[in-house]
Amino acid sequence: MSATGTCEYQPKDYKSDLKPIWCPGCGDFSVVQGIYRALAAIGRPPHEIAFVSGIGCSSRIPGYTTAYGFNSVHGRALPIAQGIKLANPDLLVLAAGGDGDGFSIGGGHIAHLIRRNMDITYIVMDNQIYGLTKGQLSPTSQKGRTTCTSRYGSLEEPVNPLLYVLAYGAGFVAQASPTDLVGMAAVIEEAIRYPGFAFVNIQSPCVTYGEEEHQIKGLKAISESLAGLGHNPADRLAAMDLAQHYGHKMHLGVFYRNPEPPPTYGDLVKERQTLLSKDALPKERILDLFIKK
Amino acid sequence: MAIRGIDYANLSLKDALDLAILIEDEAQERYEEFATQMDQHRTPEAAKFFRYMVENEAKHGRELSARRVARFGDAPSAVSRTMIYDIEAPDYDAARAFMSARKAMEAALASEVKAHGFFVAALPAIKDAEVRALFEELREEEILHQTLVKAELAKLSPDSQLSDEDFVDEPAPQ
Ligand SMILES: Cc1ncc(C[n+]2csc(CCOP(=O)(O)OP(=O)(O)O)c2C)c(N)n1
Ligand code: SF4
Ligand SMILES: [Mg+2]
Repeated sequence: MSATGTCEYQPKDYKSDLKPIWCPGCGDFSVVQGIYRALAAIGRPPHEIAFVSGIGCSSRIPGYTTAYGFNSVHGRALPIAQGIKLANPDLLVLAAGGDGDGFSIGGGHIAHLIRRNMDITYIVMDNQIYGLTKGQLSPTSQKGRTTCTSRYGSLEEPVNPLLYVLAYGAGFVAQASPTDLVGMAAVIEEAIRYPGFAFVNIQSPCVTYGEEEHQIKGLKAISESLAGLGHNPADRLAAMDLAQHYGHKMHLGVFYRNPEPPPTYGDLVKERQTLLSKDALPKERILDLFIKK
Repeated sequence: MAIRGIDYANLSLKDALDLAILIEDEAQERYEEFATQMDQHRTPEAAKFFRYMVENEAKHGRELSARRVARFGDAPSAVSRTMIYDIEAPDYDAARAFMSARKAMEAALASEVKAHGFFVAALPAIKDAEVRALFEELREEEILHQTLVKAELAKLSPDSQLSDEDFVDEPAPQ
């Protein structure tokens, strides 16, 4: 029971003793606060949570929580999270990382978790840059952006993370930002509660290598609440329409929540296991299958 | 700065005191985090000032806690940390690597102004006379905090007016 006695878990219960080594001012400080708050609202004990990330500044995030954490391999947070969820379906599984981790090297994995409806919440801290490796072009960097890997300005259109996941059929898609911490904690909480793959894109400024218009002040200027616009989150096409403004406007809140979520991959696996279990050999006899009699 | 799920019109004195304690706790923790960040980035003057703020917030928090216990003992509260966001705590993006003491003080001053604004904005919705008196007291307390920070600013030598950019290199992409 917490000191104030209202709910069982408080945000601080999810905060680890490890001191973040992010640059002071980095947007990721607010993101981890949003996660503490969402987890406190969910109320699962830290030992029932697994938090997996790839590599990047943002991917340090599991270490700053008291959940079981795995700061894994660049771009591989999702397959690892998927394995953890299948091996231990009762765990609440979170995955997180950067725009580079998720949409460059790891981009190929997203579609498969979506089509399986893996019950995992995926949080991308989108700062439109490779922060950890010191400021190279990322898949969400704006066209024309000058970096050390695009000396004369990038020639590429950015990936639109929101459209990307909506097009593959993700059941829950939202966007948040440190410009609205209340909203950020609320959408993370809602994403965790969604029974299936949930994606939250967080516009989290890189104060060291990010551009001026991607800092808090610039983001505030282009932010608009989806609820305020009267958007119906059950309308997938309307969500896709709004998602097209990524990079120009920052819509905050839930773009899409499937009103009739399909079964999760975990549910289907369980069903299949039940079906086959009557003919299954006991564990100690499995080798018999491979030994010629 | 934001607040979630608090009905000022029906706020009891016990919950108002708890809310004030939570606000001080949040500010204290944020200053602690900032001090650690400044240690990591080898800016001891800014770290020292943020620790001074930790002490101020902690002191005020202790005074409020003593009042809460004296009046209401350990009766459970209806407010929690999930309801408040950066009321008196400086926003995370107020910190910067290689902050000068002056910049650190300016960030703290801005958050004291922000906290004062919070109590000013909340007051019209409060109906209970005791809660109103508490919020008025807290509003005045924020002015006092501003005075303390201004006094620290006044102690700085004039050359501390140099901008951080004057002595910090641009980050070097590789
Ligand atoms: C297989 C592999 N390729 C490349 C790298 C180098 N690398 C580390 S982090 C990173 C990109 C980080 O950008 P992002 O994922 O957006 O995270 P941020 O640091 O911006 O939070 C790269 C390319 C690596 N660690 N491993
Ligand atoms: S380089 Fe950018 S993303 Fe990385 S910690 Fe610093 S501010 Fe954050
Ligand atoms: Mg990035």
